[in-house]
Amino acid sequence: MTKNNVLLSVENLSVEFFTEDGQVRAVQNVTFDISKARTFALVGESGCGKSVTALSIMRLIPSPPGEVTAGRILFRGRALLELKERQMQRIRGDRIAMIFQEPMTSLNPVYTIGDQIVEAIRLHQKKNASQAWADAVEMLARVGISDPQQRAMDYPHQMSGGMRQRVMIAMAVSCEPSLLIADEPTTALDVTIQAQILNLLDELQKQNGMSILLITHNLGVVAERADKVAVMYASRIVEVADAGPLFAQPLHPYTQGLLRSLPRLGYTAKRLPTIAGTVPDPLHFPTGCKFHPRCPLGSDDKQCQTIEPMLREVRPGRKAACWHCPGYETEEEFKEYESKYGKHKRASVKS
Amino acid sequence: MTKEPNNKANWGISYGELVWREFGKNRLSVLCLGFIVFLFVLAVLAPFLANGKPYVIRIDGRLHFPLFGALKATDYCVFLAAIIGVAQLLLIRRNRRRIDPSLRGGVFWRQISVMAFVLVGGCVAICLRVPYKLDATNYRDMVASDKATGALFAPVPYGFGEVDLAVREQPPNAQHWLGTDDVGSDVLCRLIHGSRISLSVGFVAVGISCLIGIFVGAILGYFGGKIDFIGMRVVEIVMAIPTFFLIITIVAFFPRSLFNIMIIIGITSWTGDARFIRAEFFKLRKQDFVQAARSLGLPLRSILFRHMLPNGIAPVLVNATFGIAGAIFIEAALSFLGFGVAPPTPSWGQMLSLGVSTTGRFLWWLTLFPGFAIFFTVLAYNLVGEALRDAIDPRLRKAA
Repeated sequence: MTKNNVLLSVENLSVEFFTEDGQVRAVQNVTFDISKARTFALVGESGCGKSVTALSIMRLIPSPPGEVTAGRILFRGRALLELKERQMQRIRGDRIAMIFQEPMTSLNPVYTIGDQIVEAIRLHQKKNASQAWADAVEMLARVGISDPQQRAMDYPHQMSGGMRQRVMIAMAVSCEPSLLIADEPTTALDVTIQAQILNLLDELQKQNGMSILLITHNLGVVAERADKVAVMYASRIVEVADAGPLFAQPLHPYTQGLLRSLPRLGYTAKRLPTIAGTVPDPLHFPTGCKFHPRCPLGSDDKQCQTIEPMLREVRPGRKAACWHCPGYETEEEFKEYESKYGKHKRASVKS
Repeated sequence: MTKEPNNKANWGISYGELVWREFGKNRLSVLCLGFIVFLFVLAVLAPFLANGKPYVIRIDGRLHFPLFGALKATDYCVFLAAIIGVAQLLLIRRNRRRIDPSLRGGVFWRQISVMAFVLVGGCVAICLRVPYKLDATNYRDMVASDKATGALFAPVPYGFGEVDLAVREQPPNAQHWLGTDDVGSDVLCRLIHGSRISLSVGFVAVGISCLIGIFVGAILGYFGGKIDFIGMRVVEIVMAIPTFFLIITIVAFFPRSLFNIMIIIGITSWTGDARFIRAEFFKLRKQDFVQAARSLGLPLRSILFRHMLPNGIAPVLVNATFGIAGAIFIEAALSFLGFGVAPPTPSWGQMLSLGVSTTGRFLWWLTLFPGFAIFFTVLAYNLVGEALRDAIDPRLRKAA
């Protein structure tokens, strides 16, 4: 991948929340690139820092208590975190747009949906009210709302969840942003609507050539739609890869566990395998690798308990953060740690 | 623009219409609203209802129109404001029938700004063009002494500032339906003209307090944190000041004018509104649609006042109706104590204070009628406020 194909790059992003109970490290050293016109998926359990990452790209972290403590976010070479609020406002909605998980509450109940789309359009484009209105109606038609002329005059409460999510998407893409952040866009919708919404996003992506940052915990969605995937666990990215290789051959034990726990057609075992244990409390993360208490390989490994592995390239186009991942350790490291912590086994990679 | 005829049946109901429908279910509150509208009509038409000068009179064979000649610039301004107000209400009705809900907002603001421009411009023009004419002729005497004929008087043929010591302190009778006061002015006439004071005090004072309260509350509620902490302490300090005594103190230092009273009531009673709006904004700022508005890059002004305020205004509206009642009450109390508007300008509280005359007699008609006027007005506003609160509160509304 060439460098100028990158639309957004997040480098070493760390976000912390300073709460009364203590310091919560919501995002640590997160690094990833989003290429133009591609879909990048951020996957992980609830509370692992996916949404916080997205919000910090938009600079919408509630502050206080939240604060970006380190890192850079480059959008077309501009450092977003250094922009003034005014400049950021111009980027939000115009260049980077976002859709939220909960379509039922993401629209203002007191204005018609047409009004709300028109406001977004007029904010970023020099258009008069009637032009903007025509655009809004056209956007509604593009997201597949029938009778858009009429529906534009509806209030949000007159629409179903799927329709509202379409409206949200219409609003978000009305200014043709180059990046659309979709924070669990289908979680609140039923399965048939989910597919429709995702197809819609695909279509719009093809038409506009925009990139999508898809945040989800639904691996099925990721497998189908994403070009590249980052798996997050407890505030860190543990594995990054193109979607195909990742699903074919997960390298990190957490990713392996996630994929194993998916139900499959024709699967006959009585119970699905699960990942033992629970997500660690962000106030009291375990030492070393955050996954080690739940990890089949690392739970009694001294090295995993002590030293946290960073994300590294383990083979061309694949990054992971696991001591047991083949190709992760250099020979020197292996020797050094072996003398310190004793032998540890390398992960077997299914192919 | 959407040129095709839209199916009006599908326009749906706006929030305002929903609340209005719910409000209409409460008979008593509609009655009270009717009473308030009646008071407004009374206040606007006061010079035509109670005036010492006749509409028409024939003196030496020539027709004169003394009532119209004696109208003051303020009267014309009141008429203009009333006409514009009614016109705007009719326009809103018309908009609701004819204009797409989508375009109503823009049209509404355009109309409002034109109306406001006309109102301000008109008032300035009126004040510049209409001279103050003193017409001290006593037309009633002229009619009585056959110097003039064909006189057509207002229903209450007395002016509010007329002094006629011959008929002072008279109980209700055929000439003076509600009696006269200590200088022989007609009580009914003063009551009618006094409604202007009471209503304008209520509206202007509450208008001022709402503006301050909404602005402060919005800032505190949206930003929270340190700003909120400091701001709330200021609000608490203002709340701790006994308003009524502050008003008395301030009024003692400034000239006795209606505008001073309005402003002082306004700038001391905004704390309630600020707290309501702050609480609403605390709730609203975590809502997804506010996040969505921010993610669209909307400026703070739009987020606060276009997106959050309409969702959190309900308690302030309700509070405003109680506030109007309170302001009327405070004005009456101030006037009763002699700190209110200066005579001969009539005010209900001031009339009330004349109930015990300098001669020590208890003049019941001077206590009863203005007292009733204050009582019913305050009651009506309170009942309307309560009905509005019930209409707005979705928990009390049956599922649609």
